[in-house]
Amino acid sequence: MKLSKYIVDHYLSILLIFFSYAVILLLLLVFNINISLIFSITFIFFMMHILLFGINFIRKKRFYDELISNIELLDQKYLVLETISKPSFYEGEILYHNLYEIDRSMSENVQKNKKDIEDFKEYIEMWIHEVKLPISSLILLCHNHKEKLHKSFLEQVRRLDNYIDQVLYYVRSNYTEEDFVIRKVSLEKMVGNVLIKNKDDLLESKIDLEVDLGNIEVYSDMKWLEFILNQIINNSIKYRDEKRKSYIRIFAEIQKDQTILNIVDNGIGIQKGDLNYVCKKSFTGENGRRKTKSTGMGLYIVDKLCKKMGHILEISSVYHEGTEVKIIFGNNDFYHTER
Amino acid sequence: MKRIMIVEDDQTICKELKNLLEHSGYVVNILNNFSNSFEEIINSNADLVLLDINIPFLNGETLLREVRKKTNIPIIMVTSRVSELDEVLSMSYGADDYITKPYNPTILLLRIQNVLRRMEQKVDSYKYRELEFFPSKGILKKNEEEIELTKNEMIVFSYLLNNQGKIVTRDVLMTDLWNNDEYINDNALTVNISRLRSKLSELGYCNVIETRKGQGYILL
Repeated sequence: MKLSKYIVDHYLSILLIFFSYAVILLLLLVFNINISLIFSITFIFFMMHILLFGINFIRKKRFYDELISNIELLDQKYLVLETISKPSFYEGEILYHNLYEIDRSMSENVQKNKKDIEDFKEYIEMWIHEVKLPISSLILLCHNHKEKLHKSFLEQVRRLDNYIDQVLYYVRSNYTEEDFVIRKVSLEKMVGNVLIKNKDDLLESKIDLEVDLGNIEVYSDMKWLEFILNQIINNSIKYRDEKRKSYIRIFAEIQKDQTILNIVDNGIGIQKGDLNYVCKKSFTGENGRRKTKSTGMGLYIVDKLCKKMGHILEISSVYHEGTEVKIIFGNNDFYHTER
Repeated sequence: MKRIMIVEDDQTICKELKNLLEHSGYVVNILNNFSNSFEEIINSNADLVLLDINIPFLNGETLLREVRKKTNIPIIMVTSRVSELDEVLSMSYGADDYITKPYNPTILLLRIQNVLRRMEQKVDSYKYRELEFFPSKGILKKNEEEIELTKNEMIVFSYLLNNQGKIVTRDVLMTDLWNNDEYINDNALTVNISRLRSKLSELGYCNVIETRKGQGYILL
């Protein structure tokens, strides 16, 4: 709070004070009052007003300065009321009280929204579990009536299942804080599950697999990691280069304090300009436009899940030559306790 | 024949699952009365239970814990809930395996087979006619004559032997191989079968693995 601005703001009272002093002075002169008394009255008059002005200024300055500086310091500015002391002057009290009311109604609003989102999330999760039942039935039906059904039937059902998983993990990555369990998981087992899931597609597209994972274990959430790997391998299958023999190589290396899982393919690759955006929401890029419809959500969700679990996702690619995806797991002692 | 009990409240899945299991040579028993599920499982005399988590009355996990107090019957938990916590919980309550819906039917059958085999008495060797088969060492033995099998041949032969006299599809063999982290392609499977055939014929068993066109293979 600046004194100069405060003075300018109170120009009317100051003008009035000078005006009233002029009137008083005039009266004193008219009544021919002793000059030293006039000086005393002038002195007392101005002293009183300056004192009053000063006290008022300081009271307000104390409150507003605290308010302004705390707001600047805070990340969550709406919490500022908790950090300042109650003002000792009437206008300040009005402001304080009303800010409090505004805060409260806002937080009620936020709470309501949170609850709505929570309800929505619960509904989506429930819906997904429900919809998995008919999908299970369909897969069993496809298996039991193989002779009568075309192969693409099962393919489409699996596509459906994949999209549903995307929704599930989108919801999980965006609306929940601690929905995962970090445990020791075997990379071989995880990768195996995902490869088997995509076995038909991999065989169909004649992709050679080279898997060398040994007994390497990492700290992660099994279900989340499985989803992540599934998206990456699905991309490798989807964006294979049909002009040559395709392969996917999966291997891991242990370094001092991290384990790196590499998934390398010789697919069509990603254009240089697109590379920085592949993890952005709804980004489809050149490949997404040329190949089958892409939602641009897969890698976005993968990236989010990785970040939540503290893994690092790195994607590099040479256009027309292939793509290399690295997932870097920390071997941090922090995770050694089962959570 | 092994008896499997299905505890599942979705009618279509129940029907198709029964179909699948019966087709693979199991006797199937479906639990109908969920209000009495605990007693029904205990008295079912089944060799294995497929237990869904989301069932009426007692939830699957609680049911599992109760059943475990009484008997060691193999139980595979089935669920559509995709959460690690459920899996951890189920395993800690003593489930023998855990599978998430929607599952690959072939994988389910493999898992069932594995759980059942774990329950049987541990044997080092299996008999095929006059041959002795040591899966852990990958060795086929006839009298003093020994032939070594590669890991892939071993997996294929184990499966065929386990299902001797039945037609085994290429898809099933492939799934079993992939399940054992051997990610081979169609050609490699054909190569493995023919190498297995020639090894068997070296031991004097010609043409014991027959090809049934469009269906698969059968070990006679």
